[in-house]
Amino acid sequence: MARAGLQLGLKQALGRVAAGAPVPVFAVAGQGAREHVQDLRLDGRLRLVDSPGAAMVLLIAGGLPDGLAEPLAHLHDSLPHPRATLWWPLGAGPATWPQQFVPTIETRDGVSETLQAIQRELLRGQRPGEPPILPDEDPVPWKGVGPYGQGGTGMTGGTPYGRPMAELGADRDGLRLDVLPLRIGPFFPRFPPGLTLDLKLAGDVIVDVAPVESPFAGAPPVGVCRAGARIFVDALSQPVPVAGLELARAREHLRWLADALVAVELGSLGSRVLRLAAELRTSDGDSIRTLGRALRRTQAIGWATNGVGRIPAAAVEGLGAGPIARAAGLPEDERTHDPAYSGLGFEPIVQRDGDAAARWRQRLGEAAQSLELAARAGDRRTVPTGSVESPRGRLDGEGNATARFLHLLPGVLQGLEWGDAVTTLVSLDLDFEEAVFAETARAGAVAS
Amino acid sequence: MNGLITDGVFWLFAVGSVVTAFRVFRTDSMMRAAFFLLASFAGVGGILALLGAEFLGMVLILMMAGEMLVMAIVMVMFMMNPAGLNPMWMVHQHRVAVVAGAGSFLALASLPFVVDLPDRPAPRPEEATAELGTELLGGSMLVFQTAGVTLLSAMIGAVVIAHRNGRFGEAEQGSLEPALEPPGEEKG
Amino acid sequence: MRDYASPGVAIVAVGAILVAGVYVLAVLDRLLGMIVAGTSIRLGALLAEPVQSGALLVLQERRTTERPDAAGWALAPALFGGLAAVALAMVPLDRDIVAADPATGFVVFSAAIAMVMIAIYLHGWSPNSAFALHGAYRYGAQALSFQIPFLLAMLATALPAESLSIVDIVDAQKSVWNVVREPAGLPLYLVVGVAVSFWGPLNLPDAADLAGGTVVEDSGLDRLLWKGARAAMLVAVAAMGAAVFLGGWWGPWLPGPAWVVLKTVALLVVLLASGHLLARVRIEQFVFVSWVLLIPLALLNVFVSGALLL
Repeated sequence: MARAGLQLGLKQALGRVAAGAPVPVFAVAGQGAREHVQDLRLDGRLRLVDSPGAAMVLLIAGGLPDGLAEPLAHLHDSLPHPRATLWWPLGAGPATWPQQFVPTIETRDGVSETLQAIQRELLRGQRPGEPPILPDEDPVPWKGVGPYGQGGTGMTGGTPYGRPMAELGADRDGLRLDVLPLRIGPFFPRFPPGLTLDLKLAGDVIVDVAPVESPFAGAPPVGVCRAGARIFVDALSQPVPVAGLELARAREHLRWLADALVAVELGSLGSRVLRLAAELRTSDGDSIRTLGRALRRTQAIGWATNGVGRIPAAAVEGLGAGPIARAAGLPEDERTHDPAYSGLGFEPIVQRDGDAAARWRQRLGEAAQSLELAARAGDRRTVPTGSVESPRGRLDGEGNATARFLHLLPGVLQGLEWGDAVTTLVSLDLDFEEAVFAETARAGAVAS
Repeated sequence: MNGLITDGVFWLFAVGSVVTAFRVFRTDSMMRAAFFLLASFAGVGGILALLGAEFLGMVLILMMAGEMLVMAIVMVMFMMNPAGLNPMWMVHQHRVAVVAGAGSFLALASLPFVVDLPDRPAPRPEEATAELGTELLGGSMLVFQTAGVTLLSAMIGAVVIAHRNGRFGEAEQGSLEPALEPPGEEKG
Repeated sequence: MRDYASPGVAIVAVGAILVAGVYVLAVLDRLLGMIVAGTSIRLGALLAEPVQSGALLVLQERRTTERPDAAGWALAPALFGGLAAVALAMVPLDRDIVAADPATGFVVFSAAIAMVMIAIYLHGWSPNSAFALHGAYRYGAQALSFQIPFLLAMLATALPAESLSIVDIVDAQKSVWNVVREPAGLPLYLVVGVAVSFWGPLNLPDAADLAGGTVVEDSGLDRLLWKGARAAMLVAVAAMGAAVFLGGWWGPWLPGPAWVVLKTVALLVVLLASGHLLARVRIEQFVFVSWVLLIPLALLNVFVSGALLL
């Protein structure tokens, strides 16, 4: 009895200390939420974590399509007790997520405070931790046919206990080794939201890869378009200021950079970049050039990216793949034949190598160039022509560069080690949201 | 008091070594088998250190850490059933193995009882490491140098075999064995 | 017979130093991160944060996966932390303040470093999870590559002392520190030191591209102990670096132990700064550099220091 009391007292004392800790949050960014979730990194009251095991609160931001309800339930159940879920709609409609225990808040400032309050209540025992959504049972029962009930046949082969075994497959060295089938996504923190890959790995080398149809693609939007992409979608159907467009482009590139830095373990530098992106003005060209020097010194453009994920120009020619194509030496850019840019001295920047390092350099160069263009553009406005150069390449009513590029992904990733594959994927800056809203904009234009 | 602690530590290592060595063959996980073996070796290393051969004991632990890891990885790599889902025995020829194992353990364990051990307490070597070094590079130099050079050449051989520029071109390029017959003229 | 503290005293002292070291490391790491990120620094929050986050992890429940190796999972952080303690116990605070000074302290320290790979492999293997296992394999490749340069870099410091005892090695640096005697030694040791406790650019087993690697399935106490053990190992590496390269307790004005602490903190800052200023290395590159560059460099270092002493 006394021991139980002591335990409780200790727990309460620890709870009081722990209540002040930054809230470990696993965030899922749906439609319209990418920047909002990214900006949470700058908030000292929170800590965005990479694994649900490290989190206390699951933050679901923006709109998520129905297809993600089941993976979300799995994700929810993999948070340790005590846990809670917070839905941050950001203008999105009712989610498919079971709502009976999901409080809803609307504003940016409110999020951190609500998260803190949830943590406090969980630790003090005022709020019960959420029970699992799915039943805690094995995907396949550990019982089957065979002399030991193992379900397999003999020492090898078969599917013992219903678990698929690694099977022999060809290897890049001409050997035949075991390959492991593995599904990564849709909430893997280094991937864009919604990307799922079916991999076959031999050791850490990718033998085969197939992107799974994104639940975002092809479905009608379930949220509002995120702020960074909105102006490019708008430019499809209405005139927008060139200066605003170019500033948004620079901002998008910097926001990509902030995420890419986290992937090479430079999170603190990433926070600095994020702050620069949030407060970016047309006069910040020098800051971007300083940043470029810093990235070379930190070897983020260097040993982390040199020669990784090379995509030759021939592979992406005519795809309108934006920075990916220009990093490989193709001067493809919708802006070259846009009358709004004539006389601004616009000339596409190109690199030669076509590797991840070239793409990092390309985006930094374009960010600085965009600021110069924005400064020179005055109050020019674009003329809607049905296609626009977004930070990821040509955006038109058919979709965006990501949609057109996705079928090339297996060829790019095959034969890479996992670490290099992640570096490559990050350097491609895939985005499923842009395409969805571009299609909607076209549908709207047709309807009206 | 000090002697009591030393005795306790000795028995901990001794019993621990035997128990973990036994567990190597009673587990169905290759990883556990490798790490039980490592624990057994670590116990032996501890006993060596207690006997005054600190250097040998510590080097044993140091070397075994790397070796057991490599062994575990290679075992998993070559095993037909790496997931350990199908039933697996760490022992083949079960009965022979049990008899041979128990027999050799008894034979070795009976040695202290049948051999007439000398009964003069040796002074604790002050500079055991230095004596070991003198032995290695003095009296037994020829033996150790021969073994050393043999091992070195084996290592160089292994590196050459594993080298990127193999017989069939660079490993990274995806090598193809040459055709058995020389390429003839194209028909058609 | 050399000096050993009595077991009780040694365990309490080493444990206390370890906990204090981990706390100092956590604060320093956060401070450096804030400087690089350019955020304003609030001292109170900075000092309280490691304690608060630690308490939070204690209160979070442990988690399990489908059919893990539960014993191995629980054992791995304990083994890692124990190894850090063994490594730290070899570091003398002063000529006669040392937890244990065996004649082969150098070898004991190296054996502890070698056993780290077992702890990490066990930790990655046990949870039955792809990313964790992948991290474990990566550390295997990393550890087998840095072992030889590490041993050679440390071996060169034993030559002037003509002893494998750490106290003797520090004692031999009365006039000239080893960092001056062997300029290549300390940089080599630091590179390998970052690799041993997989920090910053060499955090390959627990990397961000594996969503945390071997630690991905851990929660609560498991996570706290693992992170703590990893930090403790970095403290031990820094303390040993201060002893064998920076002359340990030797220094003017201040008492010996103060010098050891100062030098350890200085090395810690260098090691931690690498985590905020250098991008992650690719495993392939690290293995290549280790075998082709670091080993010859370390060998040269040993030959030159040996030749100078003859």
